[in-house]
Amino acid sequence: MTRLFDQYHPQSDRFFDEVIASDDGPRAHYGIMMQRFNQFSAADIRARRELVNIFFRNQGITFTVYGVDEGIERIFPFDLIPRIIPGSEWEGIERGLVQRITALNLFLADIYQDQKILRDKVIPPELVLGSKHFRREFVGVRPPLGIYIHVTGSDLIRDADGRYLVLEDNLRTPSGVSYMLQNRIAMKRAFPVLFDRYTVRPVENYPQQLLRTLQEISPLPKLDPKVVVLTPGIYNSAYFEHSFLARQMGVQLTEGRDLVVNNNKVYTRTTKGLKIVDVIYRRVDDEFIDPLVFRPDSVLGVAGLVNAYRKGNVTLANAIGTGVADDKVIYSFVPQIIKYYLGEDPVLDNVETWLAGNPKHLKYILENLDKLVVKAANESGGYGMLVGPQSTPEEREKFAEKIVENPRNYIAQPTISLSRHPSFFNDTEIAPCHIDLRPYVLYGKSLSIVPGGLTRVALKRGSLVVNSSQGGGSKDTWVIDN
Amino acid sequence: MLSRVAESLFWMSRYFERAENTARFLDVNFNLLLDLHSITPIGHPNYWKPLIMVMSDPEHFSSLYQEYDAHSVTDYLVFNRKNSSSILSSISMARENARSIIESISSEMWEQLNNLYHFLQSVSPQQVHSDPYTFYKEIKNASHLFQGITDNTFSHNEGWEFVQIGKYLERADNAARLIDVKYHMLMHGHEHHADIVRSSMDIIQWMAVLKSCSALEAFRKVYLSKIDPDNILSFLILDRSFPRSIAFSICAAQESLWRISGSSSHRYANNVDRLIGKMEAEMSYTTVEEILQQGVHPFLEEIEQGLAKIGEQLHLLYFAYHTPKIEPANISEALPFTGLDGRRANWSQSQSQQQQQQQRFIDAVNREPFSA
Repeated sequence: MTRLFDQYHPQSDRFFDEVIASDDGPRAHYGIMMQRFNQFSAADIRARRELVNIFFRNQGITFTVYGVDEGIERIFPFDLIPRIIPGSEWEGIERGLVQRITALNLFLADIYQDQKILRDKVIPPELVLGSKHFRREFVGVRPPLGIYIHVTGSDLIRDADGRYLVLEDNLRTPSGVSYMLQNRIAMKRAFPVLFDRYTVRPVENYPQQLLRTLQEISPLPKLDPKVVVLTPGIYNSAYFEHSFLARQMGVQLTEGRDLVVNNNKVYTRTTKGLKIVDVIYRRVDDEFIDPLVFRPDSVLGVAGLVNAYRKGNVTLANAIGTGVADDKVIYSFVPQIIKYYLGEDPVLDNVETWLAGNPKHLKYILENLDKLVVKAANESGGYGMLVGPQSTPEEREKFAEKIVENPRNYIAQPTISLSRHPSFFNDTEIAPCHIDLRPYVLYGKSLSIVPGGLTRVALKRGSLVVNSSQGGGSKDTWVIDN
Repeated sequence: MLSRVAESLFWMSRYFERAENTARFLDVNFNLLLDLHSITPIGHPNYWKPLIMVMSDPEHFSSLYQEYDAHSVTDYLVFNRKNSSSILSSISMARENARSIIESISSEMWEQLNNLYHFLQSVSPQQVHSDPYTFYKEIKNASHLFQGITDNTFSHNEGWEFVQIGKYLERADNAARLIDVKYHMLMHGHEHHADIVRSSMDIIQWMAVLKSCSALEAFRKVYLSKIDPDNILSFLILDRSFPRSIAFSICAAQESLWRISGSSSHRYANNVDRLIGKMEAEMSYTTVEEILQQGVHPFLEEIEQGLAKIGEQLHLLYFAYHTPKIEPANISEALPFTGLDGRRANWSQSQSQQQQQQQRFIDAVNREPFSA
């Protein structure tokens, strides 16, 4: 019988392989895992895959694919081979994220209060004040504890040398944490023995930590502040996650129509009348959250919510206007931001980035379109981007026009070398697939990070796009004690 | 409890019950036709049309199908999504409601509902025709399992009461409709109840009615083998202990309503409690002779309308509380609940449809400009 890993030859100068070191031996922390998988027959794998599929399907763990009309729900693809991060490596990631998120929060507090960083000319003011996500309505509003970004998830990748780099920050409503939790449950069901061989740090208490964080930011110190989750409703692609988190925290999942504002206080509509709300973990974008302030046609928000928030009667997590700091243009300034507020060098580096808004950079971008990945500054989910090496000349030409038209809106990065990890193509065949990592950071009275996070994997052969909306899948992510 | 959650629990339960009832009617009709095979051709419209009259709208049916035959009627009542009361539509609606409150119900409830939904997706009309018994049994069992799971995994507090109310209002309404239509047919155009011909054919028909309510055995225990229309009417409408009779269902719905509001007999807290109390009293103190005197059809029609009114008041009291103002043009959409004109009560989807539209719009914008 051929063993699963016998056929795995990931050697490449361009990509770091998570499992196999360049001398063809496995990295130490993957030894036991490889051994175990090599013992499995195709039938063993099939049986485990079936177990996992049934679990996901019965739990209704599905996501919505845009543009597909028939049957809106799909099972989120899950790869059976776990990603393993040694504890020592994780400490570096943790340190880097704490530093980065602390600095970004100070940045937000600054630009919504005194704007010192702009007056000190560290960042050109027009880049901040002209950002689509800058909400001037909130200048001067101070949220409880001065915290703006309570729940964040920055995307990390590894370059050819295995260095962790930050690809982007998600400071608005990062999703995926429910998959992290469910992946772990699925893995425990399918591979109990493997868990016995490793000391995997638990992620299961994330919902409790989230609830504690949300209670800590209650506008009034109460014994039991009332927290609700606000979702755009069942048609949102992340609806499963919203309901899952509400259930895990034991709080109510509300839609815009469940909330009313009266006298600048927020209430839920219940069968027994109106009940006051203190903290809203909202998964509705700024633009749709209050038809009186932002889009008047929104049916997903709550009329009057923003005023209640400004009056300090309710706390929103995350705060309004945080998107200005995860803008891809501001991203390129994060090293300076860290230096400015903390006086430290960044622990985690950025990916090299060119700003189309800078004339010198623009020239470079246009000359090297076929080598670069160009992204719209305010888009997410893999939309609005050009992957240079995989594009046709016509596509590049069209894209170049768009860049010249609105340079402020674009950034470019080298085609990044996402690290690779063995993943299943079918029950008998594994191949190196590109992965990234999204760890989740909670920020209340203090910062906490769940060990691990969501590893997304590009399951399409050769694809670099790991977003779930673009055919990506995920893996369970283990941080292990050394 | 959030009004929206209470509303979804109510409709989830109500639609599930509706699917079960539809399965029961169809199942019994198949059995009945096997009994009648020697006398009537199996596709005879006389035996299929009443099902449409009980479960749905004959006009709507005629717009989609040519004939009242086994295939068309089964297709319409089981699979057709254009029929909002078909089994597939009902289970989809139940699931849609459950999906929007997935964090409030137990995961076992969701799994069970989801299982049935996926089962229905996988069944072909051909399978139903070749083995109707197994198919309908699957649905009935799924419903019983769902109720059992609900009773054993879902806290018996306010939410559970709304589940009960949905179930029993639907059951009472279905029973009233079924008896109404079957009685009408068995009158054979006679004007007076006393003229009903008690032929063996009719007895088989009445037995079928009992069977569709799983009531034949229970009936026999009370009335022995006196299968007589008066006894059957009395049993299906007025029996206090048989769980699918109208009186039982109304009594159970009343108890749940009282537990929510704290009402008790002689002391009602709101309009729903008043209406259900009134109907319950009527059921308690009416005899089958009085029903016959009034006329079976007028009596049942009154019940159907009373149930529709109760549903409407329930909606206004518990679900629509503080609803943002509804545009006058949309009132009928927002309150299609009434069912007062003889149509079946249906869940208002207008708000969730608006949400869906907006979400689609957002998604479309997010995809711009490089979706291709």
